[in-house]
Amino acid sequence: MLKINGLKAEINGKEILKGLNLEVKPGEVHAIMGPNGSGKSTLASVLAGREEYEVTGGDVDFEGEDLLDLSPEQRAGEGLFLAFQYPVEIPGVSNINFIKTAVNEVREYRGLPNLETKEFMKLLKEKQQLVELSGKLANRSVNEGFSGGEKKRNEIFQMAMLNPKLGILDETDSGLDIDALRIVANGVNELKTKDNAFVVVTHYQRLLDYIVPDFVHVLYDGRIVKTGTKELALELEEKGYDWIIDEFKETV
Amino acid sequence: MATLTISDKERFLINQEGQDFSHEAKTFIKIRELALKNLKDLDFPTNKLEDWKYTNLRGISKIEFRPQSAINIIAAKVKAHKIPNLDAYTLVFVNGFFSAEFSDTAEEKDGNFVVTNLNTAKKKFIKFVEPYLGFQTRAKDQFFVNLNAAFSQDGAFVYVKAHQKLDKPVHIINLVDGDLVAAYPRNLIIADKLAEAQVVVSYETIDTASALSNVINEVFVAEGAHVQMDKIQNENGNTYHIGADYAVQHKDSTFTINTIPANGKLIRNNLSILLDGTGCTANLNGAICLNGDIHVDNQTYVDHAQPNCDSNELYKAVVNDQAASIFNGKIYVNKIAQQTNAFQSNANILMSDDAKANSKPQLEIYADDVKCSHGCTIGQFDDEALFYLRTRGIKESTAKKVLLEAFIGEVLDNIKIEAVRDYASALIAKNFNSKN
Repeated sequence: MLKINGLKAEINGKEILKGLNLEVKPGEVHAIMGPNGSGKSTLASVLAGREEYEVTGGDVDFEGEDLLDLSPEQRAGEGLFLAFQYPVEIPGVSNINFIKTAVNEVREYRGLPNLETKEFMKLLKEKQQLVELSGKLANRSVNEGFSGGEKKRNEIFQMAMLNPKLGILDETDSGLDIDALRIVANGVNELKTKDNAFVVVTHYQRLLDYIVPDFVHVLYDGRIVKTGTKELALELEEKGYDWIIDEFKETV
Repeated sequence: MATLTISDKERFLINQEGQDFSHEAKTFIKIRELALKNLKDLDFPTNKLEDWKYTNLRGISKIEFRPQSAINIIAAKVKAHKIPNLDAYTLVFVNGFFSAEFSDTAEEKDGNFVVTNLNTAKKKFIKFVEPYLGFQTRAKDQFFVNLNAAFSQDGAFVYVKAHQKLDKPVHIINLVDGDLVAAYPRNLIIADKLAEAQVVVSYETIDTASALSNVINEVFVAEGAHVQMDKIQNENGNTYHIGADYAVQHKDSTFTINTIPANGKLIRNNLSILLDGTGCTANLNGAICLNGDIHVDNQTYVDHAQPNCDSNELYKAVVNDQAASIFNGKIYVNKIAQQTNAFQSNANILMSDDAKANSKPQLEIYADDVKCSHGCTIGQFDDEALFYLRTRGIKESTAKKVLLEAFIGEVLDNIKIEAVRDYASALIAKNFNSKN
C-alpha cells in the first residue's frame, strides 16, 4: 500500500529526514516511535503534503501513485488521512458543514455522487457515536473551544467519515487522559479492516496497549534505525532510546 | 496687465454651476448658499490632512465632472440593478436626479409614513424636512459635505411616523450613467418616536468612463426608534465615490449600518454617529472584500455624548491584488457618558504582496466608568487552516472560499434582509479571486 524509499526532506535548509524506508501493507498497523526531534512529525507532515517541507530525495509510492506528486487534497482523495497532532481551529466554519464539504469533495474525487442529506446524517450519527462525540459539537465552529480530548476525537471522527485506506495518527494520544485515549483507540480499532492500514506516530507505549501494532519502528536522526514487534515498544518504555542509539552509532 | 489665474477648485466649482434651484423654498436655498460660502474657504483635501493621510485625491480636481441629467434610460438597464427577491419600495435616482418612472413612492393616506423623493418632500412635507435637512451636515470644514449641500440634485425622503413601522424596506438605487458625471444624491431618513424602518441604499453604475458620486445620508432616529441601513457600493472601476453618513440617535434608540464597499475606483466613507440620548445602541459593520486596484477608506466616528449607550463596531477586510483598505475608527466618550460600552474591532487579511491595509483605532475617553475596547489585526491568509481543509480532501479553491466566507460572514450576518445579504455575499464572493 505504502512504500517509502530513501525519503529525504528538509525545512528551512535543515535536513530532517535522511533516507527513510518504510513499507506498509493492507491490514497492518505500524507504530513509529522515537525521541524528540527524530523526525516523526516531519514524516507525517511530508506524507500529508505540507508545503513547508522540501523533499530532496527518495520516493513514496501509495497504491501505485507517486504520492509526492499529488496535492494534499488529491492525497486525501486517494485515501490518505492525517490526524493532526494539533488540530486547527477554524472560526466561522461549522463542523458539520466542514465535514459535509470534505465528504462530498472526496466522493467527487473518487467518482461518486454527493451523499443525500438523509444518508449523510445517518453516517454522521453513526460515526459520532463511534468516538462518543456530542452532537452539539456539530454546529460549533471547527475545533473552536473544543477541549483537547474533543479535538482528538474530532480527528478520528473525520477519519471515520472519510474512510481512508491509510490513516496516519500524529501523536493523537499526547495530552489525552486514559478515558479519552480509550475512546480514540477504540475508534481506530473499529475502523480497522484487512484492507486498510494505520501508521501510529507516538511518544508513549501506552497507546499501543489499546491499538496493537504489527510492527514498531524506531525513528532516529531521520532514519528508521530499528524495527520490531510490539514487544519492542515495551522494551523502549523500560530502557529508553539510548541503547538503540548506541547500537545504531556502532553500526555506522 | 495682471494675469488672472484660477485654481483647480474654482474651475471645478464653476463646472458644477448651472443648476436652477430658484424654485426651492427659501430655507433650502439658504442651506445651499451657506455651503457655497463655506466652499470659498475650503479646498480638495490633501494627504497633509491627518484624516486624508492614506487617500490621495490628486487629479480629481482637474477632471471636468459636471452634473448631467441622464436621458433615454433603458428600463432593462435599471432593472439589472434591482436586488433579486427584494420586496421593497424602490426609489431610483440616475446621476442624482429622481427617476419617477422607475420608482414606487408611497404616501400612506393617514400619513403613517412617507417614501418619496426629497424635492417632492421639500414642497409637500416641508415641516418634516426643514428641521432635519442639513442639521447634521453643517460641518464647515468638510469640502465634500459642503459640495453636496450646495449642488445636490435630489435624493430619497423616508419618514416614519411615531409608533409606525414601514411595512417593507425602502431600496434606494443610485445609478450613474454617462461620462464625466458629477452626481450628488442626498437621502434624508427620519424615524419618529418608536418607529421602525429598514433602508437599503445601493450605488451602481449603468455606464461611465469616469464619474464622481458625492453622496450624503442623513438619518434621524428618535426615542425608542429602530433603523437599519445597508449601504452597498458597487460602482464601476472608473467611479470616485465620496460619501458621508450621519446619524443622530435619541434615547433608547437603535441604529445599525452595514457598509459593503465592493467595487469602484476609490471609495471614501465618513460615518458619523451621535448618541445623543441615554440607552442607545449603535451597530456599525463593514464587510470589505477588494481586488484589482480599488482604494477604500472607511472613517468612522462614534460620539458617546450621553450615558448608558452601547456601540459595537466590526469592520473586516479581505484585500487582494493591489487593492488598499483603510480603516480609521474614532470613539469619543464625553465626560458625562458614564456606563458607556464601546467596542471596536477591525480585522484585515492581505491576500497578496501588493495589497495594503491601514488600521487606526482612536479612543478619546473623558468618562471614568466605561468599558471600551478596540482591536485591530492585519494578517496573511491562514495557511494552517487552509492546509487542514485540504488534507480533508477539500480543493484549494473551495477551501479558500470556505475560509473567506467564514471570515466575512461574521459581518454579513448583521444584514437582516435575506435578499440583501445574498446580494452582498455574491458581490463579495466575486472579489475573493484575483483580478490579475
